[in-house]
Amino acid sequence: MATRLQFENSCEVGVFSKLTNAYCLVSIGGSESFYSTFEAELADVIPVVKTSIGGTRIIGRLCAGNKNGLLLPHTTTDQELQHLRNSLPDQVVVQRVEERLSALGNCIACNDHVALTHPELDRETEEMIADVLGVEVFRQTIAGNILVGSYCTFSNKGGLVHPHTSVEDLDELSTLLQVPLVAGTVNRGSEVIAAGMTVNDWTAFCGSDTTATEVSVIESVFKLREAQPSAIVDEMRKSLIDSYV
Amino acid sequence: MPRKPTRHRRLMNYRPLTFSPFARQAARVASVCTINRQTNIAEPNKSPPKSAGDKLVKNSLKDKNEQSESSDEEEFDGNVQVDFAFFDPKADDFHGVKTLLQTYLDDREWDLSGFVDLILEQTTVGSVVKVEDDEDNGVFALVTALNLGRYMDHKCIIEVKEFLLKVSQEKDVIDDLRSLLGKEAQSVGLLVSQRVTNLPPQLLPPLYDGLFKEVSWATEDEPTEELKNSFHFKVYIIVSKVYKHKNADQKGKQNSDETIIYVKPEDEIFHKLSSWSFEFSLHTPQIVAHELRNYQQMGLVMAVKADKISTFQQQLQSLVEEES
Repeated sequence: MATRLQFENSCEVGVFSKLTNAYCLVSIGGSESFYSTFEAELADVIPVVKTSIGGTRIIGRLCAGNKNGLLLPHTTTDQELQHLRNSLPDQVVVQRVEERLSALGNCIACNDHVALTHPELDRETEEMIADVLGVEVFRQTIAGNILVGSYCTFSNKGGLVHPHTSVEDLDELSTLLQVPLVAGTVNRGSEVIAAGMTVNDWTAFCGSDTTATEVSVIESVFKLREAQPSAIVDEMRKSLIDSYV
Repeated sequence: MPRKPTRHRRLMNYRPLTFSPFARQAARVASVCTINRQTNIAEPNKSPPKSAGDKLVKNSLKDKNEQSESSDEEEFDGNVQVDFAFFDPKADDFHGVKTLLQTYLDDREWDLSGFVDLILEQTTVGSVVKVEDDEDNGVFALVTALNLGRYMDHKCIIEVKEFLLKVSQEKDVIDDLRSLLGKEAQSVGLLVSQRVTNLPPQLLPPLYDGLFKEVSWATEDEPTEELKNSFHFKVYIIVSKVYKHKNADQKGKQNSDETIIYVKPEDEIFHKLSSWSFEFSLHTPQIVAHELRNYQQMGLVMAVKADKISTFQQQLQSLVEEES
């Protein structure tokens, strides 16, 4: 189910939060209703952690993560790093990355199996992504934009990309990512998909300006209507791939 | 759902001659870089307005960038020539206008999207300032006047009224304010004027002249009597922000610092001509420049009688002429 909400009059939910299948990060400083909306949806299933990164509130655009790990920019302070290590489940590896392109959330889009990155990311960062997040890494652009982490967002079930992505690019990306993709918008026509919404395998949060049509596209491509949080889904996927091979 | 390329018209026209999707993508990335650079450099005055509904008041200005520290290697010599144009508000301007109005009611969560929709629907009165043929469709300034009585059932207007009453709690003008927002709402206009901070002041007189002309045209041109009357404003309410000196209330301060610094020059004129005004403290976290370290940003609410407007327009014109 997709939930609409706002962070202090801003509909850019994906800027102030980061949602994965194993945890959820929420920025401090917003009103309590922002945090409590996440809590209400997720509290029983995954930890919801309030944090800042480098003293800023734009945590969703600075970090990249999935159920296996979390990558933080070099601007993260030691206290924040420690706080995250303490609050997140033990199986999530929290790692600070020395990378010139420090807005990792804008440069990396990932789910639990594949990551798309900015074409100019360092080699070492690419290796760290593959290690810490346990994914296969592809350098890509989306509709000519190098900030792949901003212009697309995908989970293990589906993905939403920049509205001007051509049909051939859509097919190419879909093959790479092994999930169905749709080109669309969020927050009443905003092209910056990942800033306007955040999603995992069973739920999504988008800005309150998002129209009903956009919400229905999100719910259908991410398969949220029949989704439920469960480790069984992962098990099923592994066995499917085995049988295909 | 067919996807229409709405904004990036120029980009779509450029079709690099390549065969593979990868090469096309690479060529497109290269072309984006060159096209972005070209829009920064001036284009000469083009004549026809974009669509039939636009009224185009041309104001071409050379916006001189004062930074003389640019190195010799840079292509720009520090001067950026920009053609600003005034347009009627359109539904497309939603995101630009919303960004300008983000902090209109301080940090309160309210129906901002509804408020923006209201402004954009009122095409007869109100203008947005944009750059000619700008790909990004950026909104640089907005000015409009909304009749509080006409829109009194809209959630956003109700929230604006509640906000104003709340911040005026201890002030003596609260009774005046309450009657303006209540009984007299039919003749009260909320003057909304927001813009990017460094917009050239030469644009202000035509911007406000345009607004007040539209208000008087609306009293004649609107289709129904009720609508015509709704633009017979007697009082304008303005919500704005100023910097007030932290020690302003102390008597006998030695320094020659000004008590109030106005972010928008016309606010100073409105403040002098206002029937009443009050300041209220803001909750949003502020990033204060070094020069303004003794100042605190405060909200300012003013009520200006409509008959003072022509004085305002004259004083604004002379203020701008002084400064330029």
